Amino acid sequence: MSEREHPADETAYDSVEDSPPSVDEVDYDDHDLLGQADWVIGGEAARKARQQGLYAGYVLFLGALVYGVPIVQTVFRTTDATSLGEQLRSPLAIALLLASVAALLGAVVFAGRFRGPVVPPMPWIDLVLPAPLDRALALRRWWRYAAIGGLFVGALGGLTIGGGLAFAHLGGVVTVVVTTVAGTALGVLATRLWLWSQVRSWPGPDRRLSLLWRVPDALRELHSESLRTHSANTSTMAGSALTGNLRTARLALTRPVRHGRTARLRAGRPFTVLVRRDVLGLRRTPGAFLSGLGLTLLGGAIVTWAFTQPAAPSIAATIGLLPLYLGFGAWAEGLRLQADNVGTPSLLGAGEVTEAVAHVTVPTVLTVVVLGGWVAVAAALGSLPVSALLSLWLVLVLLVSGNVLAAFRGSPTFVLRPQTVALWYAVPALTVVVLGSLVAVLTKNGSYTGLSVLSWLVYAVLAWAVSRVRRLTYLHRD
Amino acid sequence: MGAVAVLAGEVRAQGVGKTIDETTLLLPTDVSAGPGECVVLRGPNGSGKTTLLRIIGGLLTPSTGTATIGGREADERDRAVRAAVAALLGAPTTYRDLTLIDHLVLIDSTWGGAPASSDERGLALLDRLGIAHLDDRFPHELSSGQEQLFRLALTFSRPASVVLLDEPEQRLDTGKRQVVAKLIGERTAAGATVVMACHDPELTASLATRVVDVVPAR
Repeated sequence: MSEREHPADETAYDSVEDSPPSVDEVDYDDHDLLGQADWVIGGEAARKARQQGLYAGYVLFLGALVYGVPIVQTVFRTTDATSLGEQLRSPLAIALLLASVAALLGAVVFAGRFRGPVVPPMPWIDLVLPAPLDRALALRRWWRYAAIGGLFVGALGGLTIGGGLAFAHLGGVVTVVVTTVAGTALGVLATRLWLWSQVRSWPGPDRRLSLLWRVPDALRELHSESLRTHSANTSTMAGSALTGNLRTARLALTRPVRHGRTARLRAGRPFTVLVRRDVLGLRRTPGAFLSGLGLTLLGGAIVTWAFTQPAAPSIAATIGLLPLYLGFGAWAEGLRLQADNVGTPSLLGAGEVTEAVAHVTVPTVLTVVVLGGWVAVAAALGSLPVSALLSLWLVLVLLVSGNVLAAFRGSPTFVLRPQTVALWYAVPALTVVVLGSLVAVLTKNGSYTGLSVLSWLVYAVLAWAVSRVRRLTYLHRD
Repeated sequence: MGAVAVLAGEVRAQGVGKTIDETTLLLPTDVSAGPGECVVLRGPNGSGKTTLLRIIGGLLTPSTGTATIGGREADERDRAVRAAVAALLGAPTTYRDLTLIDHLVLIDSTWGGAPASSDERGLALLDRLGIAHLDDRFPHELSSGQEQLFRLALTFSRPASVVLLDEPEQRLDTGKRQVVAKLIGERTAAGATVVMACHDPELTASLATRVVDVVPAR
C-alpha cells in the first residue's frame, strides 16, 4: 500500500467570507479515498481482473463476428423475400415488434425491483459506502459495467437483426446502420430503466422518471439497505441456482400473495379441485397470468406465422418457441409446487401423475386458446395448411413435456460447475426449442416421413417427463 | 384413483436402524403400536426420533430391520401405505396462493370428502385449533406458533389410520398444547394409531399409552 495522508489531514476549514461562519466543512478527495479502498481490497490483482473483463468483451465481439455472421445468414434465409418483406411491414408485425420491446422493458423494470444493475459486494457496502464519499462516484464502477453491457448487447442485437435483413435481401447498409443504432438506443434505455427500477425499490424523496437521464443523481438515491438487499438477493439467486434449489430463488423473486382472499376454493372431485386450485392461484397472482399471456401471445404469433407462412424464415419458430415455453411456465405454478412437495409425507389423496395432469390442464387450455386464436387469424388471412395444425399439436405436446421436465428436474447430481449447471437448467427449454425448430423445418420442407419419425420422438419426450414425475416423487427414499 | 387396500393401524418396526456411510443416525430400535394406542418416542436431540418416524412412514429405507404398516412394508410408494399414514415430519410445503381454508378444502376434496360440507369441516378443524379467525390468511401471513397449528390442521384434515407427529408441541404455548393434546387424544380414541416424538413431559403423561426411549448412537 502506498503511503498516503489520511484525507482528514487535508482538512481545509472554510475561511471563505460569504460562507455561513457557524458551519465547518471537511473537504474530502473522493477519488483518492476510493483509490485507497480499491488498493486495500484488491491491490494490483483487482486492476488486472477488470482488464480481463475488457478482454472477455473483445473475445465475445470477435466470436460474434466469426460465428454470428454465418448463423445469421443461415437462419434468415427465405425462399420468398418479397412476401417476407410485405409480412414484416404489416401492422400486425409492427405491433408484435412494439409488444416485444415493451415486454423487454417491462421485464427489465420487474428485474430491477429485486436485482438492479448496481450491486457492489457486501464488504464494499458495509465498509466503504459508510464513508462520506460521493455515492455516485463510489457506485459508478458497477453502473458502468451494466451500462457498457447493455450498450454492447443492444448494439450486437441490432447489428444481428440488420445483418439478417440484409442477407434476406430486405434491406441494405442503411438498414444495418439503423437497426444497430436502434438496438444500441434500446440497450441504453433498458439499462437506465433497470437503474430507475432499482432506485424505486426503496422509499426516498426522488423517484421521478427524470432520473433516467440524471444517472449520478440516481446513484446518489440508492440507499445502503437497498443495496444490501439487492446484493443478498443476488447471492440467494446465484446460490439457489447453483444448487438446483429453484424454490428459494422463486420465493425471493415473487411478491407474497396478499389479495383475492375473499374468493374461496370450491370443493369437488380430486381432479376438478386441483384444476380449480390453479385457476384460483392465477386469479390471486394476476402478474403471473398477465406475463404468461403476454409471452404466449408473442410466442404463439411467431410460431403460428412460422408454421403457416412459407415465406417465414427458419429462425422464426426457434425465436417464437422460447416465449411460448416461458409463457406456459408462468401459468404452471401448481406443477412447480407439486414438485416442491416431493419427499414430504403426502397430504393430497391424488396420485402423482393425476396431480401433474391436473396441474398442466390450466396452462394447456390457455395455450390452446391463444394458439387457436392465432390459427384463426392465419385462416382468415387465407393460409392454413393441415400440416401446420399437426405441427402445432406437436409443439403443444413439447410445451407440456418441457414444463413438466423443468418442474421435476430435481437437483443436480453431478459436480457443480457453472457451465454444467447452466446446461442442466437449459435441458427442458433446449429440448422444446430444438425439437420444435426441427418440426418447423420438416413442416416447411414437406418432409412428412421425417415429421412422423420426429413425432415419435416428441411422444418419447412426453413419456420421459411422466417418468421424471414418478422417479422424483419416490427418489427421496433411496 | 382405483382400488386401494385399507390398512389397519398396526405399526411394527423391528430392529430398524439407519446408517449413512460411516454415520449412524439411528441404532436398531423396536416400536410396536396398535389401533387406539399412542406411542411416544422420547430421547435427546440427535438420537434419531425423526429418522425413526420417517422409516415408519415409509419415507426412508432402514439400513437394518423392517417396518410395516398393517402388515405391509412401510413404503410411501405403496398407495395403501400412503392412504393409511398422515404425518407431520418437518414443514410441509404450502401453496403461497391459497388461504388456510383453501388448503383444507383442497386436501379434503382429494380424499373424497363430500363437497357440500367441505368448508364446514375445514372451518371446524381450524376452530378446534383456535385459528378459525385466520381462515382467509395466506400461510406466509402467520406467526410461527400459528403456522405450527396450521400444519397440524393440514395433517388432521386427511383421513388416516396411522398418525405420525414429530414434536407437535413445538412453538406452542401451554394452552395450545392442551388443545393439541385433546385433538390427538380424540383421534386415538377414534381408533387411530399415533406415534409421536415429544419433549413435553406433561403431554407425554397425558397421551402416551407406551413410551419408547430412543438411545442416541453416540
